[in-house]
Amino acid sequence: MADMRENGAGRRFRARHRGRGAQVLIYLGKLLRMFVYQSDWKVLPMAALIAGLVGMVVRRRFFINMEGTLMGAFAMVCVCIWNGCFNSIQVICRERDVIKREHRSGMHISSYIAAHMLYQALLCLAQTGVTLYITALTGVQYPREGLFTRWYFVDAGISMFLITYASDMLSLWVSALSRTTTTAMTVMPFVLIFQLVFSGGMLSLPAWTEPLTYFTVSNPGLKVIAAQADTNDRPFVTISNMIEKMRDSEISGTVTPGQVLDALSDEENQAVRDIRGTEINVSTTFGALRETLEGADFYEELRNTPLDDGTTFGETIDMLDATGATQEYADMPIEAHTTVGELVDMLSNDKNVRAHWDDSHTFTTTVGNVLDLIGEEQTKLLLEEKAAEASYVPAYDNDRANIAFYWLHLIAFIIAFALLATVTLEFIDKDKR
Amino acid sequence: MEQLLLTGKLDFADFILRLLFNATTWYGALMQAFFIAGVWRMLQKSGLKGWWALFPGAREYQLSRCAGREPEGRVWSVLSAFTWLINLLGAAPLLLMTGGRMDDMSADIAYAVIKMMIALATAVYAIRVYSGLIEVYGARRRWMWLWIFLRAVPAMVWGFNRDYAPAWKVEDMKAELEKLATHGSASVMDEGLTVNLEERSATEFFQKKILLRDIHMNIPLGHMVLLLGGSGAGKTTFLNAVNGYEKAKAKVTLNGSDMYTQYKKMQYEVGFVPQSEMMRGKDTVYNTLLDTAKLRLPQDVPAAQRTQRVDEVMGIFGLTPVKNNLVEKLSGGQKKRLSISMEFLSNPSLFILDEPDSGLDGVMARELFEQLRKIADTGKIVIVITHTPDRVIDLFDDVIVLAKDSARTGRLAFYGSIDEARSFFGRERMEQIVKSVNRVEEGGDGLADDFVMRYAEVQHG
Repeated sequence: MADMRENGAGRRFRARHRGRGAQVLIYLGKLLRMFVYQSDWKVLPMAALIAGLVGMVVRRRFFINMEGTLMGAFAMVCVCIWNGCFNSIQVICRERDVIKREHRSGMHISSYIAAHMLYQALLCLAQTGVTLYITALTGVQYPREGLFTRWYFVDAGISMFLITYASDMLSLWVSALSRTTTTAMTVMPFVLIFQLVFSGGMLSLPAWTEPLTYFTVSNPGLKVIAAQADTNDRPFVTISNMIEKMRDSEISGTVTPGQVLDALSDEENQAVRDIRGTEINVSTTFGALRETLEGADFYEELRNTPLDDGTTFGETIDMLDATGATQEYADMPIEAHTTVGELVDMLSNDKNVRAHWDDSHTFTTTVGNVLDLIGEEQTKLLLEEKAAEASYVPAYDNDRANIAFYWLHLIAFIIAFALLATVTLEFIDKDKR
Repeated sequence: MEQLLLTGKLDFADFILRLLFNATTWYGALMQAFFIAGVWRMLQKSGLKGWWALFPGAREYQLSRCAGREPEGRVWSVLSAFTWLINLLGAAPLLLMTGGRMDDMSADIAYAVIKMMIALATAVYAIRVYSGLIEVYGARRRWMWLWIFLRAVPAMVWGFNRDYAPAWKVEDMKAELEKLATHGSASVMDEGLTVNLEERSATEFFQKKILLRDIHMNIPLGHMVLLLGGSGAGKTTFLNAVNGYEKAKAKVTLNGSDMYTQYKKMQYEVGFVPQSEMMRGKDTVYNTLLDTAKLRLPQDVPAAQRTQRVDEVMGIFGLTPVKNNLVEKLSGGQKKRLSISMEFLSNPSLFILDEPDSGLDGVMARELFEQLRKIADTGKIVIVITHTPDRVIDLFDDVIVLAKDSARTGRLAFYGSIDEARSFFGRERMEQIVKSVNRVEEGGDGLADDFVMRYAEVQHG
C-alpha cells in the first residue's frame, strides 16, 4: 500500500489510502446526509406516534399492578423492536449495487457496517428518547429513581436503547442477507412474529420451545423492563377485580353445622384466627331473649333442663311469670361481651348442637354476602398477596445483577448481529454482492 | 425408521416402502415404481444414465436437465430428497431434537406443517420442470395435469413410447470442453495490460461450471478497446476477472504489476464503470464525488487538492452546473458522466466501462465516446462494452470478441484491430460479427466454435 504514484496535477504522493477508521467517518458523514435527504428522519415522528398509541393504552396500569406492568413492559418491548427493525431493514439491500461498486473502489465492508452501527446507534438513541418522553406525556407513571442511576429514565432508557439497537442490528443482518428490498420486507413479519411469540413472557409456550426464546431480543428485553419496573412486588389485581365483578353472583350449597364449626375452629389458619378474635357485643332485653328462646326448636328440651335447686328451667320460668317478674323486667337490657372464637367453642361443646352436628342445611347467598361476612378488604388483600406470590418470576427480580445480566445479553446480540452482517456481506456473498 | 427411532421396533415392509419408493401404501409404491421406470427411459432418451432415476433427488435433477430447467431442478431435487428423508424418519427427529420435551401431538402438528410447506414448494418447482419437459417433448399443455396428478402415467408414456422423443439431447459438456481446448499464453509486457486467463469457473450445486477459458492477450497503453459478445458470452465476467475483483485461474498484469497478488494496490489503478448507475440518488453530485475522492485518492493528498481534483473532474465531464443537485434529479446522460467521473477521479491506468451508452441517444453517446477517446489518448487503456458499436467504431483501436462455445463457455474468438476483425470474420459491421458467433437458438449464425478454433490457430500458429 505504500507505493508512489502521481495525482492528476502531476505531483507524486505516497499512495496510502484511507484505512478502516477513516472510511467509517466518510460513511458516517454520508449516512447523516442521507438522514436529511433520504427521509430517514421520518422514523422519529413514527416512533412518537407509536409511543403515543401504546402509552395511551398502558398508562392506567403500567407500574400500578403486576399484570399491567407486565403488559406495559411487553408493549414497550414491542415498540422498541418495531422501531429497531424498521430502521435498518432496507439499508443494505436497497444499495447492494452501490456497495459492490464501492467495495471494488476500495471500501472496506467492516467500515461500512461500522458506520451503519454508529449511525443506527444515534437513531436508536433518539427514538428511545422520543418514546420515553411521549409515554411520560401520555401519563405513564414512571418511578423516579433507578437502580443504577438517580433517574429511572436513564436506567429504562439504557434498556430500551439496547433492545431497539439489538433489533436494529438483527434487521441489518436480514438486510445483508436479502437480495432485494421486497425480500427483506417479506421476511420482516416472520422475524417480528418470532420475536413476539417467543419472548417467553406473555404467551405460555410449550416446554420444548423454550430454547427458541434464547435467540430472541424480546426475551431479555421483556425481562429487563419487567425487572426494572419491579413487577414482582406489584399487586396481582385480576382476582380481586373478578371478585368485585362477581359480588351479585348467587352461590348455593349444602353444609352441616359440624363443617362450619370445624372450619372456624382451625387455629392453624391465620385467617380463621383473625375471625375468631373478632369481638361480638350482644345487646338485647329479657323479653326479646325469651321470645327468641320460645321460638327455638330446642325450647321444650331447655324447659326440662334440671337446675341446681331440684326444679327445671321451665318451672322456674313459670314461677317468675306467676309473680309478674318477667313482665316487670321484660324491657331490662342485657349486655354480653364475647368473641367469635368463644362463641364457636361454646357451640362446638354444646350437646344440643352436637346432636345436630351432621344435619345438612341448604344455603343460598351471594358472593357479596360471603365477602361481607368474612371481610371484603381483608379477602382481597389476601388473594392479591397470594396471587402475586404464585406469579412470582425470579427473572423479574429488581436487582442490579439481574438487570446487568440482561444488558450484557442484549449487547452480545448487538455484537453478534453486526458481525453476522459483516460476514454475510464480506464472505458469503462476495461474487453476487 | 420412525418406529425404530422411537420404539426400537421396525415394521420391515413399511420401512422398505418408505425407503425405496417414498410411499406408505402398496398402491403408492407401485405408482412410484412406474414413475421411476418411465424416468429411467426418459433419461436414456436424453442421452443420460438411466440409473439416476433410482435415487431420490438425483432423479429430479437429471430430469430437469432433460427439460433444460437446471436451476429449478436443483431446488426440486433438494426438496425431493428432503421429502424422502422426512417421509422415512417421520416426526422422530423433532422429538429427538427437543430431547423428548415435545409431546406427540405437537410433534405431529409440527411435522405436518413442515411437510405441507415442503410439499407446496416441491409442487411449484416440479411444475416448472414439467413445463420444460412439455416444451422439449413438443407435447400439448394439457399433459401438465397428468404430470401434476398422476406423473407415473406421462413418465411411462413418454419413456417407453417411441413417438415421444426430446427435441434435443443433454450435451456432454466434458467431451465438448476437451474437444475445444486451446492453449497458449501472452508474454507479459512492462507497459500495458497482459491477460493470461486459463479458466474462470463457478461452482453451483456441487457442479463446476466453466464460465471463461483460454483467453490470452496484450493490450498496449493508449488503446481504446471494444469488447464484443452476445449475451451470456461472459463479457462482464471477463472484465471482473481482468480487474481482479472476481479472481480467475489467471495471471493479469498491468504495467508489470500483478493484478491479483497486488490487488490492494492495483484496485486504485483500475476504474470500473458499471452498467447501471450504482450511485446513491439522495446524495448531491459534489458530495458523491468528494466521498469517492476520499476513498480513491491517497490519504496524503491535501484536502484543498482533493477538492480541486473534484472541481477539475466536474469541469471535464460538464457536471459543474449541477454540482449541488441530487443524483436522482440528473438526466440519464448526466448520471452516466457522473458515474464515469467517479472512476476518473483517481486517474486510473485501466478504464473499464460496461455499456456506458445504454439509455443515451446517438448524439450523447457519441460525445461520451469521444470523451473516452480523449482519456485513452492520455496513455490509458480504455475497454468498453457496448451493444451499438458501429456508430462509434471509428474511435476504437482494437476489438475483443468473446463467444459462447458449444460447451457454453465464454471463449476468445478474436482480439486485434478493427480492420483485422473485419477481415477475420469477413463482415463489415461489428453487429454482424456478434451475430456470426451467437448461437443459432439466439438468432445467430452459430459459428462460435469455428472462429474460436481459427483464432487459436492464428494466435498460436
